[in-house]
Amino acid sequence: MFDFFIHVASIACLYGVLALSLNLQAGFTGLVNFGLIALFGCGTYGAALASGMGWHPLAGLPAGLAMAALLALFYARLGRKLSSDYWGIATLSIAEILRISITNEQALTGGAQGISGLPLLFADLKPYDGVPRLALYALVLVLAWFICQRIVKSAFGLAMKLMREEPQLARSLGYDLDAIRRTVMLISGAIAAFAGFLYAHYLTFVGPDQLMSPETFLIWSMVIIGGIGNNWGVVAGAIVMQFAMAYVPFVKDALDLPTDFVAAARLVIVGGGLLAFLLWRPKGLFPEKVGGSRGR
Amino acid sequence: MKKIAIGATFAAVFAGLVATAPVRAEDITIGAVIPLSGASATTGKDQSRGIELAVKEINANGGVLGKQLKVLVEDSGGKPQTAIDAAKKLVSVDKVPIVIGEYSSGNTIPLGQYLVQEGMPHINPASTSGLVRGIGATSYSVVGLDNVSTEFAAQDVIDHGWKKVAVLAMNNAFGQGVAEEFKKHFTAKGGEVATTVMYTIGQSTYRRELQQVEAAAPDAYVFTAYGTEGALIMQEAFELGLQEGKPWYSILITMMNKDTPADFKAGLIGMDVGYIGEGGDAYKTEYEKTYGETFLSAYGGYAHDAVLFAAAALNKAGSTDKAAVLKAIEDLGKEGLKGATGEIKLDADGQRTHQPYLKFKVEGENLVAYD
Repeated sequence: MFDFFIHVASIACLYGVLALSLNLQAGFTGLVNFGLIALFGCGTYGAALASGMGWHPLAGLPAGLAMAALLALFYARLGRKLSSDYWGIATLSIAEILRISITNEQALTGGAQGISGLPLLFADLKPYDGVPRLALYALVLVLAWFICQRIVKSAFGLAMKLMREEPQLARSLGYDLDAIRRTVMLISGAIAAFAGFLYAHYLTFVGPDQLMSPETFLIWSMVIIGGIGNNWGVVAGAIVMQFAMAYVPFVKDALDLPTDFVAAARLVIVGGGLLAFLLWRPKGLFPEKVGGSRGR
Repeated sequence: MKKIAIGATFAAVFAGLVATAPVRAEDITIGAVIPLSGASATTGKDQSRGIELAVKEINANGGVLGKQLKVLVEDSGGKPQTAIDAAKKLVSVDKVPIVIGEYSSGNTIPLGQYLVQEGMPHINPASTSGLVRGIGATSYSVVGLDNVSTEFAAQDVIDHGWKKVAVLAMNNAFGQGVAEEFKKHFTAKGGEVATTVMYTIGQSTYRRELQQVEAAAPDAYVFTAYGTEGALIMQEAFELGLQEGKPWYSILITMMNKDTPADFKAGLIGMDVGYIGEGGDAYKTEYEKTYGETFLSAYGGYAHDAVLFAAAALNKAGSTDKAAVLKAIEDLGKEGLKGATGEIKLDADGQRTHQPYLKFKVEGENLVAYD
């Protein structure tokens, strides 16, 4: 039971980091990114590349970050020409194009069969590897939260919010929206890729199926349920969602329900949960704080 | 309001923690992770039926170690992450001695690797990718891998006198494995693969891919496809006239035969894993009696045999101790076990050495095995 809890908590931390990354884009800057998972994928494939090339596993991190930076800049560049809805669609298609390219580029990426056998983080500490790993992930989550919090409370954060609310006004006041978009995408891309790198060295397997678009929408539902525009909220949303989904099988065992129930219940948690929050509590569990004495 | 929300968050988490049902102590429980939702849900259903029948059969014959056998089935959602979540639950919470799983190679490999890291016995009941062989020491397969099945198919195609073929396969772990291995064996046997086209599954039409393979002007078309996609490919091949005078050969033909109307598959031949080996008739009769229809896929029988194999290994080990179970699996693999899919023997890597393959031809709606 304890091991399982550690596992679920570890994954929840990584989802929390991803949710923070999306929140920086969508929550504070109004960048509706439906291709977040591709930035995460840069991290996982950075790790896979290092493994495939026989480099030191840590070399995968700069490789992943570099790929994520390129992709983030590309996303940001697209944003110059497209309004936010069209930008969302464009990011979704780019993420899909990347996934399909990875599937077809068999020589480099192992194709659909993926790359397996990556080194497990802290494997030397077995059987006590779970706790230090969770501690590291929790630390990364706290750091990511701290960075995000600092950014949104800074003057730059105000500019981000102004860009979200009134882009024309922001431009008239002399803000360079392209630069804001670029900076936000670079920072949040790096955060997402970092989560991907850690994930790859936890699952020890990297494949294109991990980059399907429903994964992006899972993060979206975590952000919306938690409270878009609130860094506390999105982390809470990620943790609640991950635990709810992971513990569905226990409800099944307790009530002696058929296994089909688990599949259906998970779909209901994501889809139904999202819908319920959008209808009755659109600001999520922890709504964004606006104004106030410390409200910058 | 915020306090309520925080309270609710914690309540949800702890409700989940508390709600674990202890497995009844008088049962021996093993675990299975199969796709009950997602793209492969039909096969997963067939697997769960195979498991159910195996459990019934074992318990009617005295159970395992003098107790009743129970198989705890968890849904993989067809995703590696969910599959591993399920395996972690089975290993660390339910403390099962053996885990069976999954269906698609992209999920079986990470699932197996996790189990190998934990030193847990893993039985692969379905995935045929060649990469399965490399999962690790405590991973075993009761199904023959691609290299065995595609060699059979390549020989069969050569025997029909078709030297130049075009290959059409789905672009996923399974399809890529089949296409690659088939080409290797076919070329080694003196044939030529004129072109290989990988298609993305879930499309509304496959005309573009079909025209691409047609352009290679092969003697025959060799393809592999899942249910409804296979049906669409056959229908469009028929409509485009690709079936006129050119033979079609399906690798793992039972995957798509049921969904394809007779009009579009006249003259189709193919091969599949023999889901009925020696001694499999009883299983087939029981299946049809219980579920009122014929097999949904070829993989129910293998899931059935995975359970039989696990149960026999536990009986042989005399306990659920990990080391004893692993030793028993190795021994049993050498001795062989008779299952619904024929005799199961494992090689030094823990992979099934041989398995029955059948040649099939279509007659009307149905498949008929021939020699």
